[in-house]
Amino acid sequence: MNIETDHHDGTSDATPGGYEKQRRPGELVFCAFLALASLFLVWDAWGIENAFGPNGLSSPRAIPLATTLVMAVSAIVIFVKDMRLPKVAGETVRKDILPVTVVILALMLVAYGVALNSLGFLPTSALFLIVAIKLLARRGWAWTLAVSLGSLILIWVIFRIVFTVLMPSGIVPEAEFIQLFRNLLSGAN
Amino acid sequence: MDAILAFLTVFTQPELLLLVGLGTFAGVYVGAIPGLSVTMAVSILISFTFSWDVYPAISLMIGIYMGGVYGGSRTAILLNIPGAPSAIATALDGYPLAKRGEAGTAIGVTTVMSFIGGFIGIGVLAVAAPFVSDFALKFQPRDYMLLAVLGILLVGSLSEGSLVKGIFAGALGIAIGAVGRDPLTFTERFTFDIPLMQGGISFIAVMIGMFGVSEALMQLHHVDKDAVRQKISRIVPSLATVKKHLPLSIQTSSIGVVIGALPGTGGDIAALMAYDHAKRVTKNPERDFGDGAMEGLVAPETANNAAVGGAFIPMMTLGIPGDAVTAIMIGALFIHGLNPGPMLMVDQPDMFWFIVGALVMANVFMLIFGLTGIKLFTKIVEMPRAVLIPLIMLLSIVGAYAVNNSLTDVYWMLGFGFFGYFMRHYGYPLGPVILGVILSRLLDDNWRRAIISEREDLGRFFGGLFSSPLSTVLFIAVILIFVSQTPIWTRAKARLFPARKEVKQ
Repeated sequence: MNIETDHHDGTSDATPGGYEKQRRPGELVFCAFLALASLFLVWDAWGIENAFGPNGLSSPRAIPLATTLVMAVSAIVIFVKDMRLPKVAGETVRKDILPVTVVILALMLVAYGVALNSLGFLPTSALFLIVAIKLLARRGWAWTLAVSLGSLILIWVIFRIVFTVLMPSGIVPEAEFIQLFRNLLSGAN
Repeated sequence: MDAILAFLTVFTQPELLLLVGLGTFAGVYVGAIPGLSVTMAVSILISFTFSWDVYPAISLMIGIYMGGVYGGSRTAILLNIPGAPSAIATALDGYPLAKRGEAGTAIGVTTVMSFIGGFIGIGVLAVAAPFVSDFALKFQPRDYMLLAVLGILLVGSLSEGSLVKGIFAGALGIAIGAVGRDPLTFTERFTFDIPLMQGGISFIAVMIGMFGVSEALMQLHHVDKDAVRQKISRIVPSLATVKKHLPLSIQTSSIGVVIGALPGTGGDIAALMAYDHAKRVTKNPERDFGDGAMEGLVAPETANNAAVGGAFIPMMTLGIPGDAVTAIMIGALFIHGLNPGPMLMVDQPDMFWFIVGALVMANVFMLIFGLTGIKLFTKIVEMPRAVLIPLIMLLSIVGAYAVNNSLTDVYWMLGFGFFGYFMRHYGYPLGPVILGVILSRLLDDNWRRAIISEREDLGRFFGGLFSSPLSTVLFIAVILIFVSQTPIWTRAKARLFPARKEVKQ
């Protein structure tokens, strides 16, 4: 009985990725990074000093030191185990782990974060959605613009007005716009 | 009397009723749309509702939770992709039924059985939680510490993949939770002398990153796959079908509640154990299991919805979540100033009864929405991923920003999103990370209380472990999980959980 054919990549919460008996491309590097980072954190945890007494079992250092040690030991165990496993045949980092689309979208997310404060929520999101949807759906401009701007307006109305979430307004005078809208409504009454 | 009034709160206020309904409706779709998950939805939602009053926010989230657990079965039946871990077992017989063109019947039976299971779970929650809570007042700090460790370990070991990776993930979560100024001594921990780090890392940023962005990035691998169209006809099952499976459904619901109530085990394990149970007790199924047996649908679906009520027992009485979703629900309660644990029942019993009421209502809405609107449903599920993925990403950013109005949280969220993406690829479970973050404080505080009361003497601490039966049991359970990684246990497990083996193939 099969559940999914090619679902070893953790696409749903139900199926964490990875293979039990094989090693995916880049897995060893990732694990080495985890091990080294954990060791660094062990060192950092060791440096936590208790200002009020000895660095005993009840000091602020205890749990961080214990957990980072657990992290380091388990990462090293995983690394050793991984080393012995055969590679998955036919998988490459470029194709299966970090395809171009993933890299582009990840960079776009970072760019979004950088632009958010200066440009403001509406322009940044509009740009993000238009480029991302155009890139992924590869359909005409009219469709892309309609879908991305339509959903952005929907999101903005729901979150700005229903949930009253304040996002950086940037170059768009959002507050003035809403006030104008309110004035119009109250004027009509 | 107060309890009854609190229980009825949700029924008497149209606004709350509407929110539970809306939540359940959204939950069913969130669970059913491939690429969206309940964990993702609730973690993003927390950041939007945190400025609300407690009651409306909780109503909405309970609706989503209940609807989502059920909704996961839809994709399991229609596409053979379980929308949630708890729907893995549902796919075993649900998908073969859909392939025969009986998707409608399968969905109908699933809905009614989820409803029955849900009610049994809520009933047990209402009856048992006050007792557990009374009992929990006698817990000592070391018991809490052991329970927290046990919960994290169980989530790590029982989800698929290796325990070592689960342990790493859990420890990472605890470490993330420790970042910032230590609440007891104000000592800086893992701050690297950066002022921004002193306040710690917002756990909502971690959650949204791990379950929102990382999942969206994962979905990019499947952006070209079309949603599969399925014809769905008659959906309301006949009374005879329901009656026939009632005895089984009560048995499997009980399994669901008990498994759900154990800290660290949730709907997924419950569903698989129930499936296994059904396989053993059904003498002459009309069709073989794995080939579209109705019993194979009834068992996991009653069990996983019963597990919802069960999972709320340790969550509300001990403050220990069962799985990633309940961990996020605890996060939601924290955000609203509630402190799940034995004192919740003493300080705010009304909150408990309100939640029970909301669960009942969500369960009813689930039945209604499950059996209607099938046309709309097929439309929404066909939403192309090329649109869905950018929208999830946008919502994740807005969500991370909204909590503290700070860009730092957005960067944390993106960082954990990218990191979670690799964790998913290489088989590191994400559930334990979230559990670790949520339980970090509880673990740290209780360890320090426990060891101080033993005058910082490890020998006395271990001696103390065997002075109370509860501590002994918990300690042995923790040890057992480690033993479970040895070959002896693997052989025993193969005999105990044959259903799990099938899934892994």
